[in-house]
Amino acid sequence: MKPTVRLRRNTDRRTSAPTLLTAGLCLSLALATGCAKSEDDPSDAKDTGKAAADAGQEVAEPSGDQKTCDLTAFGGKKLDLKGATVGFSQSEKEANPFRIAETASIKAEAKERGIKLLTANAQSQFSKQISDVQDLIAKGADVLVIAPLNSDGWGPVLRTAAQKKIPIVTIDRKINAEPCKDYVSFIGSDFVEQGRRAADRMIEATGGKGEVAILLGAPGNNVTTERTKGFKDRIAEKAPDLKVVFEQTGEFAREKGQQVTEQLIQSKPDITGIYAENDEMGLGAVNALKGAGKKAGDVRIVTIDGTRGAVQGIVDGWIHGVVESNPRFGPLAFETLDAFTKGEKVGQDIVIKDTEYTEDNAESEIGKAY
Amino acid sequence: MTQLALRGVPLDRARVLRLLQDYGVYAGVLALLLANVLLTPHFVSAENFRTQAVQVAPVIIVALGMALAIGSEGVDLSVGSVMALSTSLISLYLGYGPVAAILVAVLGGMLVGLANGSLIAFIGVQPIVATLALMVACRGLANVFLPQLKDVRDPTMASLGSGSVLGIPYLVLIAVALALLVAFTVKRTTFGRQLLAIGDSRPAAQLAGLPVRRVLVVVYVVSGALAAIAGVLATARLTASDPTSLGTLMELSAITAVVVGGTPLSGGRVRIGGTVAGAVLIQLLTATLIKHDLPPSWTQIAQAVVIVAAVYAARERGRR
Amino acid sequence: MTETYDAGGPQAGSGPPGAEAVLRTAGVTKRFPGALALDGVDFAAYPGRVHALIGENGAGKSTLIKVLTGVYRADEGLVEYRGEPVEFATPLEAQHAGISTIYQEVNLVPLMSVARNLFLGREPRNRFGLIDFRRMHREAEEALRDLGVRVDVTRALRTLGIGAQQMVALARAVQVDARVVVMDEPTSSLEPREVETLFGVIRMLRDRGIAVVYVSHRLDELYEVCDTVTVLRDGKLVHTGPIAELDRLRLVSLMLGREMGEVRAEGLTKFSGEHETGGEPVLTARGLRVRHTLHDVSLAIRPGEVVGLGGLLGSGRSETAKAVAGALPPDEGEVLVAGASVRTGSTPAAIRAGISLLPEDRKAEGIVPGLSVRENIALAALPGLSRFGLVDEERVDRIVDTFMKRLRIKASGPHQKVGELSGGNQQKVLLARWLAMQPKVLLLDEPTRGIDVGAKAEVQKLIDELAADGLGVLLISSDMEELVEGSDRVVVLKDGAVVAELAGAEVTEDRLLEAIAAHSRAPEEGAPS
Repeated sequence: MKPTVRLRRNTDRRTSAPTLLTAGLCLSLALATGCAKSEDDPSDAKDTGKAAADAGQEVAEPSGDQKTCDLTAFGGKKLDLKGATVGFSQSEKEANPFRIAETASIKAEAKERGIKLLTANAQSQFSKQISDVQDLIAKGADVLVIAPLNSDGWGPVLRTAAQKKIPIVTIDRKINAEPCKDYVSFIGSDFVEQGRRAADRMIEATGGKGEVAILLGAPGNNVTTERTKGFKDRIAEKAPDLKVVFEQTGEFAREKGQQVTEQLIQSKPDITGIYAENDEMGLGAVNALKGAGKKAGDVRIVTIDGTRGAVQGIVDGWIHGVVESNPRFGPLAFETLDAFTKGEKVGQDIVIKDTEYTEDNAESEIGKAY
Repeated sequence: MTQLALRGVPLDRARVLRLLQDYGVYAGVLALLLANVLLTPHFVSAENFRTQAVQVAPVIIVALGMALAIGSEGVDLSVGSVMALSTSLISLYLGYGPVAAILVAVLGGMLVGLANGSLIAFIGVQPIVATLALMVACRGLANVFLPQLKDVRDPTMASLGSGSVLGIPYLVLIAVALALLVAFTVKRTTFGRQLLAIGDSRPAAQLAGLPVRRVLVVVYVVSGALAAIAGVLATARLTASDPTSLGTLMELSAITAVVVGGTPLSGGRVRIGGTVAGAVLIQLLTATLIKHDLPPSWTQIAQAVVIVAAVYAARERGRR
Repeated sequence: MTETYDAGGPQAGSGPPGAEAVLRTAGVTKRFPGALALDGVDFAAYPGRVHALIGENGAGKSTLIKVLTGVYRADEGLVEYRGEPVEFATPLEAQHAGISTIYQEVNLVPLMSVARNLFLGREPRNRFGLIDFRRMHREAEEALRDLGVRVDVTRALRTLGIGAQQMVALARAVQVDARVVVMDEPTSSLEPREVETLFGVIRMLRDRGIAVVYVSHRLDELYEVCDTVTVLRDGKLVHTGPIAELDRLRLVSLMLGREMGEVRAEGLTKFSGEHETGGEPVLTARGLRVRHTLHDVSLAIRPGEVVGLGGLLGSGRSETAKAVAGALPPDEGEVLVAGASVRTGSTPAAIRAGISLLPEDRKAEGIVPGLSVRENIALAALPGLSRFGLVDEERVDRIVDTFMKRLRIKASGPHQKVGELSGGNQQKVLLARWLAMQPKVLLLDEPTRGIDVGAKAEVQKLIDELAADGLGVLLISSDMEELVEGSDRVVVLKDGAVVAELAGAEVTEDRLLEAIAAHSRAPEEGAPS
């Protein structure tokens, strides 16, 4: 009988050893955070939630002659936003400053207004976002704020919402659907305009002469295309002597931005300026320039977004200008929904005002950066 | 019967393919270097070579572990996520000083490898499934530990990333040392021989009394450790911890380097020199296309062509 | 050279008068790095004829078959099929043209059902273009019943015994409209009854006018079923002619290239017979039980003793060996080496105790094909040949050199890949691997299967020598002659249990057959020899 017992124990051990091991692994990794001690970081001692208190958003232009939408056109009922439930569907996980600030701003505004807020995060999976929105509707959301991951593919969900006459506001990215029928308004930045303003900064920094490189965003992304278009159009229009000689993707990531810039300064050592389509790639470019022994100001860098790190880069002299892409949609989104549910007219396309950080205001305004 | 003198074996197609598989990757690297010297301005400079070497170093380090995993007839898909985990651990523990933080990061990678290896060796989960699970889990864990990019301002880390000895960056020295160490291990140690035997024929290795499970676990622990080291170095270079994007698609770059380097996916063979050359080949290819400002999609197409060529050569060989 | 035995040109007396060869080669030469596998071979197979292809290992039989069936391409010479020169790019192309091959190792998809395997690539379709499973299963069952095999055709192929798998492969070859059927060692894993069925099928094929090329090492079979014989040696053709005109001894001497007297004097096996045995058993196995497989098997082997393990296919012979060697964890039972208990279910533990197993499936479980002869020999002994995990290359070289010489391993050098060696040499490499461990007990599972007469004799002689050196040997063989001549004692298994033990003068083929037959529920025993 002995061998039988031994064998049993044997098989038991086979299954339990790894189980224990896995459990141990999870435990140790969980403990890892318990006794962690990270580098002291004074500049990180900010609270993104509070950041919503400053700035907020302003509408860029009066929406006078623009298309508007109201309850009669949309076909819903009046509603007091105070007692309503708002559903918020975020597209990407809050892992970058923009998303963090965006979600924080929505949450802060809801809290301030005392409105019940349901949130969901699609973790960059479009199918999850669709089911998130369906869940929010099922859980009884009266109005929806959506930060869409994609522009297309919203048909079925929008139909469900339309049947229930649920007003939808999309923020930061537009949905390809009929405004005032499938959704109420879109609130967001004009990415083409951001590109134009970046071009203005670049022209100013270079005096309108020389060669510039573009660090493109992720390929196939509308933000990339629009920021590129605005920049190139404005350069062609205002500074024909400024030539775009290099366009490579940095995929909106710092590491890629650094790698591409390293290649760039090897092959084109005399480059005058670098236009990075987001701050992260711009900071990667700064790393690359530092590594190659360049000095602050040797190569003019203009970026878009307005994160704290980039604005600090202006203060340090490495970056010439940052065009802001404002993530604080909370106040404006709730304001729009409030007005709409009261029966007032609201714009279909609400373009928010993006500020700029330059050498003149960077130091004083850095507190506003997210 | 007929007594034919049969000395000079003709250079037939199969032989050409075998040569291509064995030395094609080196020929490719040479051809690209030559083309760049002729066509790319400012290519022949120490600074440029330094840049290429520094950029390829983390890929090489990860690919070393991948080569071992593939040699054991497995694969390690979790390497990219282990890099992310490593960078988040660095950031989390830098308060105890850089040495402690690096140790914790490497230990974390080894633990992940231990989990991979245990799933594969003891429970019998297929490597691709086990490491896929850990890949997802580690990326998630890394993001939990450190939700967003955080700057690393520690001077030791910074000098690890950008410092050099006699003009050779630390990163490159570390990668070369690790490559030599792994090559030596494969060639000269019992572990290396056993690894190859297990990769070639696991039932035979088992019946020959080889410690199959132990070897497999060690393979994945080593792969995890190497990926974690690559994560540390990438962090040092970036002077920031970016668990969201660091190491994404690294597993594919590493597999590409290994396959292009002539290591068959069917196991039983590990070519370290080829793997290093494979990583360098892809790096040069990317650099060439970027330097000439060609559309990024070209890089992908060119990579695809190289992979297909490598796999084709390997397949022809497999038929023999 | 033994060209005196050459019976002339390739067509001399081989074909029926006026018949055209369906498949022939002229001056085919094939080279491998460092070896000339085929050297100007002329060969012809005729419709309605069974053509034996024989030769020692490395004589070029397998290479010739592979050239005929499109696996290899000839470097020189011509392959002609139905009067036209052909060059098949793949085995599939050859198969489509009508040349079917049944390999030594079954070449089917183990995870698919028997029926799927039978109809692979030509599944019957229903009117929706989908596989008509019902029809496929029915036809598969019929086809197998014709061959005397009754199995559930919906089972996965790998759940069948290797003999049954072979019959499926054969059924597949017969079903495809073949003009030429090539069989490479088809009987090596069949039971006697199955061999009879196979011969029935071969005769049926012959009567249908199909040319059969038959490769085997079993002389009895050749004389029973073949019409013509071609002998290859060292890549050259040494004889072609009707088999009836060639007696066994002459055939053997043609294959070996040795004088007749020599062969006669040495007999057909190399065993000397009795061994000096004595003392306490070096290996004792008691009450081994494995669910569905072994029921209370006990064995004892004394130093210097060769114990045969007899029985039919599936009687539990291999399983007994594996259970003793730790490769198959027993549910109950114990194993002792020189009186000391050995942990069961652990190969390393068994090896440490001095038990070595030469597995039945040499290619899948024995050799590591991609590694060199040297690495294969040193594989198990490696930890002992290392210091601090570093391999002591000099010691490895010495050991490899010693064993390559002692076992007369034929290879281009210690760095040749084992996968490229002939079966006999692969077996010797495996023996060397274990002898390097200085074992106390050797478990040999079919040590001479699929290897040629010359190598077979060498391996048998080696077993004798090892026993004489005091090793305990357990010998498993389907070759009755080998079992009887080689063993001092034979333990007979039937359905996983010991049914008889023959010792001393009892060890004869007759007694062995009786022992097997006495308890057999299938009375029809077409035993060879």
